[in-house]
Parts: sequence; C-alpha cells; structure tokens
Amino acid sequence: MKVGIIDYGASNLYSIDRSLRYLGANTLIIDEPNKLKEVDKLVFPGQGSLGSAMSHLKKIELLEDLRTQLKEKPFLGICLGLQVLFSKSEEGDTQGYGFYKNEISMFPPDLPIKVPHMGWNKVFIKQDHDLFTNIENDTRFYFVHSYLLKDFDEEKSFSTTHHGIEFISSIGDENIFATQFHPEKSGEAGLKFFDNFLKWNP
Amino acid sequence: MTVAVRIIPCLDIRAGRVVKGINFENIIDAGDPVETAERYNTEGADELCFLDIDASYENRSATLSTVEAVASQVFIPLTVGGGVSKLQDIERLLEKGADKVSINTSAILDPSLVGNAAKKFGSQCIVVAVDSKREGEKSYVYTHGGKNKTAFETSAWIKIVESEGAGEILLTSMDRDGTKIGFDNELTFSIAKDLSIPLITSGGAGSIDHMIEGITDGKADAVLAASIFHQKEITIAEVKDGLASKGIEVRL
Repeated sequence: MKVGIIDYGASNLYSIDRSLRYLGANTLIIDEPNKLKEVDKLVFPGQGSLGSAMSHLKKIELLEDLRTQLKEKPFLGICLGLQVLFSKSEEGDTQGYGFYKNEISMFPPDLPIKVPHMGWNKVFIKQDHDLFTNIENDTRFYFVHSYLLKDFDEEKSFSTTHHGIEFISSIGDENIFATQFHPEKSGEAGLKFFDNFLKWNP
Repeated sequence: MTVAVRIIPCLDIRAGRVVKGINFENIIDAGDPVETAERYNTEGADELCFLDIDASYENRSATLSTVEAVASQVFIPLTVGGGVSKLQDIERLLEKGADKVSINTSAILDPSLVGNAAKKFGSQCIVVAVDSKREGEKSYVYTHGGKNKTAFETSAWIKIVESEGAGEILLTSMDRDGTKIGFDNELTFSIAKDLSIPLITSGGAGSIDHMIEGITDGKADAVLAASIFHQKEITIAEVKDGLASKGIEVRL
C-alpha cells in the first residue's frame, strides 16, 4: 500500500510525509499526473492559499486527473485540503473543486479572538468514523487557520470545534475525509489519526 | 471552550547540540536535541522553539540537520530562529521540518522581509521575535541578541510587523530575562490588548505562579521558558496543572 501526498508547491507536505513514514507507510510525493497511478490512497496537505494551490495544480496538469481520483481512492484532506473540496472561499474569489456548495468563510472580525486560530483545540466528535477509532471525544488537535467551514450537511459533519464561533472541524463522505486540524502536528493524537487512515478501507 | 494556552520550552542550539549558558557566556553542552525534544514532548510541551545561537555557516547546516532529526521524531509544531535574514533561510528551515520561523534583527534591518515572507509562506509560519528593554516610561526594541538599541518603541514596532503580516509575536523582556522574578506583565498586557495575532510572552519565568500571571495579567496566548525547564526546576506537566487549577484552558 502506497500513500500519495499531493505537492501543490507551497505546503508543509514534508511534515505529513515524515509522520506517515514514522508509522511505517510507503509514501510518494505526487507532482505530476503519472504518479497518481502508483498510489492507493491520497493526502492533500494544508497550507498556503486556495488560489495558488489550484493554479499550481493546473500548471502541473494534475487538476483534472486529481478530480477523478478524488472520487475513487481513500482521500484525506488537511486544512486547505478540506477547503479545496468546496466551491468557493472568501479567500479571494477562488473556486475549489466544488464537490460541495457551502462557502469557506473568514472568522467574523468582531469576535474577541485571535486570528489565525493557532494552537491546540478540542475536537467534539459528533459521529463515529473509522478515522476517529481509539480517539476520545474532546481530544485536542493542533489548528492553524484563518478560514473556516461554518455550515455543512449534518450527515457529513463528523466533528466541530469552537473558537469564538463553532465551526466544522472534520467532514466525511464515502472515500473522502477532511480535517481543519493538522494531524501531522498533533502529537500522539495525530499519529493515532494517521494510523487509522493507513488502516482505513472505505 | 477555546484554544488552549500554549507552553513552549525554548532550546538553544549550537553546532547540533543543545547548549546552555549564562548571559551568552560559559556555554556548556546540555544534551542531544532529539532526546531533549522527545522529553519535552512526553512532558506535554505544546510546541518547541529552537534558537540557533551561533549563526556561522558550518553551524547553520548543523542546525538544519538538527531540525530535520527532531522533525522526524517529534510531531508537534517547531519554531526555529536565529540568524534568519532572507527568504531562502526560511525556505530551507521549512523544508527541513520547521513549522514556523522566527525573525528578529533582520526584520528591523528590513521590515519588508516580514511582509514578503508572509506572502510567500503564509502568515502562520512567520513569528517576529521582539527583544524589549525599558527606559523610563518607554520600552525600546533591541537587536543582535540584545546588543543594539533601535529607535523603535516596542508597541509601535509590533504594530508595524502585525500590519506587515506577521502571524505571531514572541515578546521577550530583556529586563526580566534570566531573573526568574516573573514576566513583565505590564508590558505584555500593553501590547496584547491591541493585538489581533497571538502573543508569546518570554523572559523572567521562575515559577508556576509566574506562568499563571503571564496569562491572567499579561493576557499572553502562550508562555515560553528555557532555563526552568532545562534545569528541571519545574516540569511542563506541573505548569499545566497549575494553569488548569485556575480555570485556564490547557492541553492535558
């Protein structure tokens, strides 16, 4: 089993690569379409802006092939990798893949909170999922983000987190799972989550 | 119901080893970085901060290897600082596994470095470290490890880097550094109350109560300390228990 990590030019993909290899996984950095065929699962790392990620994917001709594979292979999106599944974001007027129509918005400016939302926050697990196996409700994971998903289908929302307002911190839909938090920076809890992803068979 | 206060141990690195010294003198070896990082991780550190105290070319590459070795074993956020002066330095550190890079002297020499770095790598990975010293009623920013005074008042300088796109401020009180009499909470609060980005307070922590006061009085989002953790005077777990007993959110 080999896990592909999407390289869209501006991310911390090496932290994810290091975490997965620490757990004994075989990994491959995906920076061109042909490499997609070699992997069984996909991780879309998070960091950078949606606009530059989408234009980089287009430039390296990965955009359309990835769209197809996203529906087929077990897929884990992290942070920006969650936002990329949506149609639009307040972060510029960028279009993501548009599998879901809800908007990715900014933290409201009038809240008495620091933005970016940076640090360890609780993940309230709303529904069981294979990726949360042996992870207790209210476990803290590491977050770094300024944009968030406020509303989403109940059946596809797996956890929420509170920072000034409540937002959706993970979503799941058949072969797709995506988190606003960063498992690769979440210590033991993050490693457990990645281990669940490696074992996942949706 | 909110994000936890962060406890950040800081490690001085030289030639690939953890070192400690008093006022930059009598520097002695204090262990292997990976082992030290693992110990802090086990104790519950929320992040780790590495400061490269010797920016010579040879040791810079040793620091890169150190960052890589730690990042392959410890999966919590790593901030690395010391001698970061250009975008290429940041890029190299991030490639090796740093999550955030702290900029100090070079930001004063060229404030646009902060903005350019934030644009290229994202605000979340650009920490501006500010060494501040009181002079009567005012506080001024110092560079070069506290050697050179600048014309910038601390609060004005922090406003500048915040608007340039810094993701976080690491504020060190030079007056308190090494004293173990507590953080300069008056200074910290005067900055934190008008700041939209997270603030880490540093300099002066000597007890669990000091850590608590840094949060309750200083309104910092995170506390950083070096010597009290190195010398095992208090553990990170004890600090967290102390904070939790006051109703402050921590990751236990």
